[in-house]
Amino acid sequence: MRRMILVRLALTLPILFGVSIAAFVLMRALPGDFAVAAAGTTSVSPEALAAIRANLGLDQPVWVQYLAWLQGAMTGDLGTSFVTKRPVVGEILPRLAVTAELTLIAATMALLMGAVTGLASARLRGSVDWVVRLYNGFVLAVPNFVVATLIVLLAGLYFPQIRLFNYVPFFTDPLENLTSLILPAFSLSLAVSVTISENTRAAVLEVAGQDYVMVARAKGLGPGKVLRSYLIRNALTPVITITGLQVATLLGGSILIETIFAIPGMGQYLYDSITSRDYPAIQAIVLVTAIIVILVNVAVDIAYARADARVEL
Amino acid sequence: MRGGARILRELVRRKGALLSLAFLAVLVLLAVFAVALGFDPVKQNILHSLEAPSRAYWFGTDELGRDILSRVVYGARTSLMTAGGAVVLAGVIGVPMGLVAGFFGGWRDAVLMRAVDVLLALPAILFALALIAVFGRSQGAAMLAVGITGIPGFARIVRAQVLSLRQRDFVVAVEAFGGSSGYSMFRTILPNSWNQILVQVVVLCSIAILLEAALAFLGVGVPPPTPSWGEMLRTGKSYLHEAPYYAILPGLALTLTILSFDTIGRSLTAILENEDAAVTRAEGVAS
Repeated sequence: MRRMILVRLALTLPILFGVSIAAFVLMRALPGDFAVAAAGTTSVSPEALAAIRANLGLDQPVWVQYLAWLQGAMTGDLGTSFVTKRPVVGEILPRLAVTAELTLIAATMALLMGAVTGLASARLRGSVDWVVRLYNGFVLAVPNFVVATLIVLLAGLYFPQIRLFNYVPFFTDPLENLTSLILPAFSLSLAVSVTISENTRAAVLEVAGQDYVMVARAKGLGPGKVLRSYLIRNALTPVITITGLQVATLLGGSILIETIFAIPGMGQYLYDSITSRDYPAIQAIVLVTAIIVILVNVAVDIAYARADARVEL
Repeated sequence: MRGGARILRELVRRKGALLSLAFLAVLVLLAVFAVALGFDPVKQNILHSLEAPSRAYWFGTDELGRDILSRVVYGARTSLMTAGGAVVLAGVIGVPMGLVAGFFGGWRDAVLMRAVDVLLALPAILFALALIAVFGRSQGAAMLAVGITGIPGFARIVRAQVLSLRQRDFVVAVEAFGGSSGYSMFRTILPNSWNQILVQVVVLCSIAILLEAALAFLGVGVPPPTPSWGEMLRTGKSYLHEAPYYAILPGLALTLTILSFDTIGRSLTAILENEDAAVTRAEGVAS
């Protein structure tokens, strides 16, 4: 098992390397002078520009710059923000915590909605199956920012007591914090819940056709017992895997949702960094997000292998 | 394409797919003949700003008194053109990538597929935003950004297709008779992969339209005054209570377009799966 984990982690190294190169090259591909971008204004003296260049190492060959940046990134130094002039790491971490909370709540909601509808669809078949599949088809087509806009509209019309756009930090008031994240997390979770629902349906149908389920029924176990001990248990593993693999979708969606509901997470930080042309921040967000997606995928693989001894990675 | 006419016949036999095709056809016709039909998305009539839908303005007017219906029609133009360009770009890069990776294997496969993995490690919208941050806001940048995020889809599908087709007798025969690798790839394997590529095109159209709208919604898509659905939703959001239709109607157009592509994509997948099953049965009977 330990060997398998090490091999799986080693396989991510070339991808991480590629991501770091992409993040680096992207920012060096900026049209115009990077030093001017760092200064934030075009009216800087040549001496000041030279000082910025020396300070950022722009007078070195590109590969030296890349290695210096990579070394910094590996020791937790992701550069200095052009806007606040403070280390980017300090800006990212608190926002990352907010985004992590939002995506976790959204993933939980998606898992609950998806598992229930998928299970109902597979077990009850008939008109329930038809309704669930029709509903899934429609929901998948509604972009999350349209859902969020509709929620803002409906909440304003019918529940004016709900305060939207009112993020409360967790340590100020945990309960208020959770309530302020429910509607954003719901808009984020819908599309993912469809993926989970469809996969649950397929997994339950597959398990229901297995011989051991037939044997369980034949030896006289009640339908409730078969459902709990056989169907749900065996169908759950692939379903949890699918949920884990949706992390990229959730992180991408959080950019839009955080902007709409004014949640100070990493998505909104990216949006702000783009409008203020804070390139080191953009670079760092790209790198951090890719690392999270890659690590979650590895964790999902490992969890899957632990749950199912037949899987070899 | 193998049996293109037959696939189309199968497609129109399905109610959902037929409705979707009809909707997209109307949308494309409106977008193409927008000028001839007299839609004017920029004419301002400030005395009639934020008016509810009426006989004169079917979809109402926006904050500058512009006709929302005209803007939705021109928004379809922006949306379809950007998404179409992006899908072409993704296909032109992704399909040869998948062909080469699958056909040659070895280091080419390793390098190309790691590049694909790098793209897959980033949420598409984040990658697109980063690209636009670098290249600035323009229709070309939006197209490029959406197109690049579509490359992995094509590369993976085509690579898988190559790997399975290479086992088939007719491909082995071409190689045995001394066909060059270029001939094998582009004249033997590619023509037999069109069906799978077509499904991917439809799937990607839906994703590209969504992504283009998301970028516009964030205010970094195709720049104004070009109307786009995402941009209209973005502005309409500020007038949700005075004029809910301002945001809702472009959102509805966007949703229906995505729904149509999704429905066609699902039907195509089902039809091709049925065909494959039939082919497998037929081959089983023959041998």
